[in-house]
Amino acid sequence: MPRSLFDKIWDAHVVEELPGGNALVFMDLIVAHEITTPPGAIAIEREFDDRLYDPQRIVAMIDHVAPAKDTATALQGQTVRTWAKRQGIPFHDIGDNGICHVIVPERGYIGPGMTACCGDSHTCTLGAFGAFALGIGTTAQAGAMLAGCLVLQRPKVMRVEVTGTLQAGATAKDLALTVIATIGFRGGTGYVLEYTGSAIRALTMEQRMTLCNMAIEAGATTGMIAADATTAAYLAERPNAPSYAMDVQADADAVYAKTVTIDGDAVRPMVSWGTNPGECSPIDGTVPLDAPAASLAYMDLQPGQALAGLAIDQAFIGSCTNARISDLRAAAEVFRGRKVSVPTIVTPGSQVVRRQAEREGLHDIFQDAGALWTHSSCGPCLGMSMGVLAPGMRCVSSSNRNFPGRMGDGGRVHLAAPVVVAASAILGRIASPNELPALVRREPVLA
Amino acid sequence: MIVAGSVLPVRRANVDTDQIIPARHLTRIDSGGMGEHLFEGMPDGAALLAQHPGASICVAGENFGCGSSREHAAWALLGRGFKAVIAPSFARIFEENAYTNALIPVVVPAELVERLYDARHVVIDVAAQTVRADGGEPVPFALDPLRKQFLLGGGFLQYLNAKIPAIRAWEAAR
Repeated sequence: MPRSLFDKIWDAHVVEELPGGNALVFMDLIVAHEITTPPGAIAIEREFDDRLYDPQRIVAMIDHVAPAKDTATALQGQTVRTWAKRQGIPFHDIGDNGICHVIVPERGYIGPGMTACCGDSHTCTLGAFGAFALGIGTTAQAGAMLAGCLVLQRPKVMRVEVTGTLQAGATAKDLALTVIATIGFRGGTGYVLEYTGSAIRALTMEQRMTLCNMAIEAGATTGMIAADATTAAYLAERPNAPSYAMDVQADADAVYAKTVTIDGDAVRPMVSWGTNPGECSPIDGTVPLDAPAASLAYMDLQPGQALAGLAIDQAFIGSCTNARISDLRAAAEVFRGRKVSVPTIVTPGSQVVRRQAEREGLHDIFQDAGALWTHSSCGPCLGMSMGVLAPGMRCVSSSNRNFPGRMGDGGRVHLAAPVVVAASAILGRIASPNELPALVRREPVLA
Repeated sequence: MIVAGSVLPVRRANVDTDQIIPARHLTRIDSGGMGEHLFEGMPDGAALLAQHPGASICVAGENFGCGSSREHAAWALLGRGFKAVIAPSFARIFEENAYTNALIPVVVPAELVERLYDARHVVIDVAAQTVRADGGEPVPFALDPLRKQFLLGGGFLQYLNAKIPAIRAWEAAR
């Protein structure tokens, strides 16, 4: 029977079929961070003599609040730190750290054919490598740390074919938002999204990560893209990369529970107007006339209102969705020689990304423009630190969630690509880069 | 196992886990202390809870628990005294977390949810898998037959612990 990419990886990792359509699925990699890992690690310490299935299959880091902002978060970090050191778990501490979904690929922990899990919903990012990677809760992660396996219901597979090629101005973020708007905010629930088609093949690994990162925002278990020469070239540059099953590919005649086709040529720059990522429209569009009243009340918008031109109070470039070096380069091209008109925070996805950006002088471009250039952290994306919104503040953000209160109580979030965030930061209103007036001269880069 | 109590009607779809418990409260190394922050991220969450004191069964629209994987959402509901959530559908991770924490995830058709919003007293028989409102007829609901045992008796980690020899044998033969 012909199989999908997901089918092949799943079948190769099922240890035992369990009652009720469940399976015991082996995890090649478990990613641990300071917010969701401690209760599970402590439970294993107390109830199972601190015994882990295989510490070398775990990688740990401090990423959400890094460095600690108070005693409570310091205790979270210290709990993961002492646990990782005691167990001999590879650990990325403050200074060597970053957002887990950025660190894991850049350090070569993930590759094609693997399974991976983390107590973090955006673990689907790693599906960009032709891996089956999913977010789970603390207890499920503890189970994987204890026994090497998750108990999972086998998801269905939805093929998302993206034809054509993304056109100038359209980014992987715009494609991700287009996919969610097309299949619906909960349209992927119970499915793995297997992305195929010419527009997908043309994406870089960082663009693929942005796309897969937001599979959870359609409710999907994960998103996946089969490995190819682009994947191989990325992995060849990773330090200490293990060997991977590069040949795991969907059969040509694989049968999918559902197939959705998206015209890649038609993808336009997108911006969200509502309170979930499926509530988004092209940036030159308007709030739909049938938009849910509750979403619009929270966002203080009217049906039919234009999105471009909406005044903003803050801009944020960062998060596991859009804070890799290519995102920062694209944003820097927009900022170069210009000035922001609202508070703007640029937070690299990892310290490796930060250092690379500084080698390229991007930090000067951001700071010459008047933006705050920070160290790596999840930061304001989830309203925990470093840029939380006040009630009523409107923020254009390169992150992944515009839920009520996500970036701070009463804060209003508009999701967009980094270049749109940069253009909006300069003009003080939601704007696409092509609205920016041409530069008459370039600001000198300060030493 | 019988769970009975009054209803907190959350009349909307897509209640995400940031609304159930905002990330600013995810700063503990245990699962305690979450109940007092339940629905703090929901614009009208505090008012809703105040209008339904003592409610122990949350009734909500589709896709309850979407978004972040935070198990804190289940802990916050349990910490506030909730024993069950009734909805037409749940987000995958929230539903998994509910099972492992013995927070009963009851999936029933949207039409029944509409009626349950206004119910005064709801009784859930977990073993028999029925839900009954205000003395009406019991309505059956489905549970994952494997995970049901974790609802009734806990023991998720013990279950996996017992599988380790088989898992090691599988890995050795891989």
